[in-house]
Amino acid sequence: MAHSAEIDSKEAWDGGVSPFKLSYGKMFMWFFLVSDALTFGGLLISYGFIRHKYAEVWPKAENVFTHFPFIEQHVPLAYVGLMTFILIMSSVTMVLAVEAGQRMDRKGVTTWMFWTIIGGAAFVGSQAWEWYHFIVGTDHGALRNVWDAASGSYVKQVFQGANMVTNEYGVPQFANYFFFITGFHGTHVFSGVVLNFIIFLNVLKGTYQKRGHYEMVEKVGLYWHFVDLVWVFVFTFFYLL
Amino acid sequence: MSDFHDNYPQYELEALHDEAYGKKARRTLWNVFWIMLVITIFELIIGSMAPGHGWSGALWLKTLFIVLTLAKAAAIVIWFMHLGHEVKFFKYIILIPYIIFMFYTIFVILTEGTYSGTSTKATKIDPIFVEQQKALKHGHHSSGVPQTNQAEPAQNQEHH
Repeated sequence: MAHSAEIDSKEAWDGGVSPFKLSYGKMFMWFFLVSDALTFGGLLISYGFIRHKYAEVWPKAENVFTHFPFIEQHVPLAYVGLMTFILIMSSVTMVLAVEAGQRMDRKGVTTWMFWTIIGGAAFVGSQAWEWYHFIVGTDHGALRNVWDAASGSYVKQVFQGANMVTNEYGVPQFANYFFFITGFHGTHVFSGVVLNFIIFLNVLKGTYQKRGHYEMVEKVGLYWHFVDLVWVFVFTFFYLL
Repeated sequence: MSDFHDNYPQYELEALHDEAYGKKARRTLWNVFWIMLVITIFELIIGSMAPGHGWSGALWLKTLFIVLTLAKAAAIVIWFMHLGHEVKFFKYIILIPYIIFMFYTIFVILTEGTYSGTSTKATKIDPIFVEQQKALKHGHHSSGVPQTNQAEPAQNQEHH
């Protein structure tokens, strides 16, 4: 633990001071996030391109994502609205943990980190639920030409749900991009929850109280807000537009 | 050498603040949260009203959603990620390369993207699906629910 403090203060800046009045670790977390944002930006732009290409046959999200737990009738966009609320809420608890850390309030950091982890886990679970209903599909399904390996030809049949080559909602590209982008984002959320949990354990142990600052909470917080930031865009481009 | 190093600034400690400052900071953060929540609920209401009013795919609606999204993104970056508190030069280091790269990629895809042709001619789409979409366009315009997507299960049972 003392080792990382030494890197920060004594070995990082050959010129004597940080050119950005910023610690080494925080600066490189920002650089990592820029590179990660480029990946997500590239994915979303390519999504926009494919969607524009299939504009006439692209399914409407409000006709696809209509399920809500324990409710029988169709409620378009309600569930994704709830997911968005959970993620924004966990972003707020994270930033409150950072603020508590800046006052050296160990109890506050513990509480807010705890709620952030709960929110993150709830979001990953919601995404699993959303994927499940997307893959299983509706009761009626839709008529499709489905590849049949046994006969080696396409067979006309009712197809329910979605996989990478066929889906009942529309062109296969819709499902491909849905799986890839929300899956990539979900992986980020999951690793964010794991990182938050590791830092949470250190907070409980009192590591940062001894160190004299809670900058690790701030760094992991940057990552967590980034995950929220990406979701804001995914939400708009997949569900609203 | 060690004398020199003893004077290194501890940037980690510069963010520390007292209770009075914390109270102000928390009020700002909660305000940002409420604004973001209101924007999101507004987006959801407009989004679920859109099919009934025939607004789906309207240019003004797309523009509105993108502007609101960028507003939320800016709020997250400035207040939650505290980029607003960093020195000016660091803000530029983070934002300018990213914005340039995104505009460049969008520009490339808009200008070079014409190679891929149109959806119905140049690529393979399931012909059944294309027929369903045509029927949907002529039959149930703006009804919101793609009724023609529902196949008749009875006549296709033998394929299961």
